[in-house]
Amino acid sequence: MAKKPVLISIVVVLAVIGLLPLLVMFLRSVTVEGHFSFAAYEGLLASKNKWILLKHSLTLSFLTTLFCAIIGVPLGILLAKTDMPFRGIFVVIFTIPLLIAPYIMAVSWFNLLGREGLLARFWGERTAAVTSEFLFGLPGCVLVLFSTYMPVVMLLTITFLKTINPRLEEAGKIVSGWPGVLKGITIPLIMPGILLSCLLVFLLTLGEFGVPMFLRYNVFPVETFTQFSAFYDFGAATAGAIPLALITALAILFERIFLRKKTYQVKLASEGNRTIVICLGRFRKWFAISVGILCFFMVILPLLLLVLQSMSFNAYARGVDLAGDSLIRSLSYAAIGASMLIAIGFFCGYLIHNRSLFLWRSMDSLTVFLFALPGTLIGIGLVLLWNRPATNFVYATPIIIIFGYIAQYTALTSRVTVSMLTQIPASMEEAAQIVGAGWLRRIGSIVCPLAKRGLVAGWLIAYIFCLRDMGISMLVYPPGHDTLPVRTFTLMANGPADLIAALCVIMVLATLLPLGILTVVFRSRGLTE
Amino acid sequence: MKSIVFKSISKLYAGKPAVLEFSLEIPRGQRLVILGPSGCGKTTVLRLLAGFITPDKGSIEIGGQVVVKDGKNLKEPEERQLGMVFQDLALWPHLTAKGNLEFGLKAQGVPASKRKQEIADVLRLMHIEKYANAKPSQLSGGQQQRVALARALILKPKALLMDEPLSSLDLELSLKLRKEILRLQKEIGFTLLYVTHNREEAFEIGSRVVVMSHGKIERIGPVDHIRQYFKQPPQF
Repeated sequence: MAKKPVLISIVVVLAVIGLLPLLVMFLRSVTVEGHFSFAAYEGLLASKNKWILLKHSLTLSFLTTLFCAIIGVPLGILLAKTDMPFRGIFVVIFTIPLLIAPYIMAVSWFNLLGREGLLARFWGERTAAVTSEFLFGLPGCVLVLFSTYMPVVMLLTITFLKTINPRLEEAGKIVSGWPGVLKGITIPLIMPGILLSCLLVFLLTLGEFGVPMFLRYNVFPVETFTQFSAFYDFGAATAGAIPLALITALAILFERIFLRKKTYQVKLASEGNRTIVICLGRFRKWFAISVGILCFFMVILPLLLLVLQSMSFNAYARGVDLAGDSLIRSLSYAAIGASMLIAIGFFCGYLIHNRSLFLWRSMDSLTVFLFALPGTLIGIGLVLLWNRPATNFVYATPIIIIFGYIAQYTALTSRVTVSMLTQIPASMEEAAQIVGAGWLRRIGSIVCPLAKRGLVAGWLIAYIFCLRDMGISMLVYPPGHDTLPVRTFTLMANGPADLIAALCVIMVLATLLPLGILTVVFRSRGLTE
Repeated sequence: MKSIVFKSISKLYAGKPAVLEFSLEIPRGQRLVILGPSGCGKTTVLRLLAGFITPDKGSIEIGGQVVVKDGKNLKEPEERQLGMVFQDLALWPHLTAKGNLEFGLKAQGVPASKRKQEIADVLRLMHIEKYANAKPSQLSGGQQQRVALARALILKPKALLMDEPLSSLDLELSLKLRKEILRLQKEIGFTLLYVTHNREEAFEIGSRVVVMSHGKIERIGPVDHIRQYFKQPPQF
């Protein structure tokens, strides 16, 4: 019986790589010189500055989530349910910012609104001063993070709309027009999905530190990072990290109690892939033009300016010279990380889906919690746990970066596995079992081939997240092992604008090109839809 | 000689009994049909025997070997030497008909030359030789049924379990396949445990019928006896 040992090993791996660092971090926050103490927390509660930081973090997350919902939900409905032209192209373009590191969008917007940006060239310094003031601070952070995370709401809205049983809408259409059906039936049915996407955006924004750091808006993750890496104040950094962990835990609890069952109900009501299309009639082209304008200003213009800013051979030559090795490392670590993540995530997803061990629910909660936690927190935990002479083989090597990826992103691959396994009838594995196949043979010969589309998709998603990661890599990378996002971010402090833009473009290409190539290859082999 | 023995098996789901104090003996070579409405526990009995679920109480013997004792599985499904045809057939879509048959033989460590021979024999027996290299999606409903039957029989199981295998077919095809199942059972002589909610199907396939209701055996006997039982007017 290989099943139990393998699944228990996966649980142990995730506990050591994901949970143990957090426990060590918590213990560190309640000890002073080896004695139990709440001094760090007392300092935290007494500090007015920390409360301001918390307010900043929550305000930024709330506003970003609000704007993402206001734009993302209607956009998702337009792209999923109407006959508006160019829907597929719009979905791809709007999704690009989500695939790249958020600070790249910040640099892109800086090239538009900054003191030497495009607007300054057209409308002079006075306008530039106003736009620059807007960019550096809360409004700028909201704008950048909105353009980065809006696709989360848009994509989840599209996904949940596809799960609605079309008959429910048809029953509504008998007695009402589309506005009434959307308001009274469609949107209420996907409301749990919308709330889930909002929760995700809220947590992603809460944990983001690259954009607020670049745009000089002080939030909790920035403070934690600074305390840890600049002042080496471990106590303050860990105590400062706990409120973020608490907020994350509360958010996960909210999802568990109020959203999970409801989102499943929507899925159960699905009926194939049929979706009823809303005919926009004469408004079709006007909607397309409006969405096109939004797409141009939100995605195309900032990225175009980034490319234009980088347009010099010298910048790219210097970029490759300064960060070529980081690029190769990034690609390799992302590929290794994605492969490890798909292996661990597959077994974790199998465990959760089949409830193979009694702690399946805990594993599900742990992976989701780790995914929602700010990367900086996981990074601090990993450093605290592995930074010892005996474990230098982890701490001083790229293994610690891979550990970070596994800790934070296993939820992605395990969730993909769960959703894939849900589509495979249990009888497939049972049929193999009854003819005498052992567990590993069933997994290798039946389950994996049937789940290959999900595995490929899971690998690609994991690869993208590993490649764009900065929160963890920034804190844990050993000397000489920095990744491209880290190298670019460190050069951003005083590097020339064209060099930074060139590095950002390289980063975007490093994400999108392998993704495009792999998608084409897998599609040609019929592995992805 | 008893092929299968259930002794006081009970299975509860969320506190509600799916099967309650279920006891039954099936002699070797018998065709036993479990008949009952949806939710009466008939599929649960089959899944308990296959080992996919564990009973809360009771024991099960297969071919004289105890596979479940005091509500504990002593043998995994892959160790029980049973064949099963699932309601949805569960043909592996990524494998050809031949691949579906070969999988179990490989799992049992049957050498390649013997595998080839056995597959050829079963394909011939089921009249599906020319579909050996077709994938399930390329086969008709009837051909898929034959492949599923062939897959269940190729390992010469101690008993064949069938969970409403004909429920999704039209009447004409269903009648044809009932005859086919009877022919095979006569030729090979396997013990058959067949689950259905269709009375006519039960009376045609079975030599003995168990009527189940609310997780319990309501009636058990030869086909004629059960047919008579259903003809009686309800007692008030």
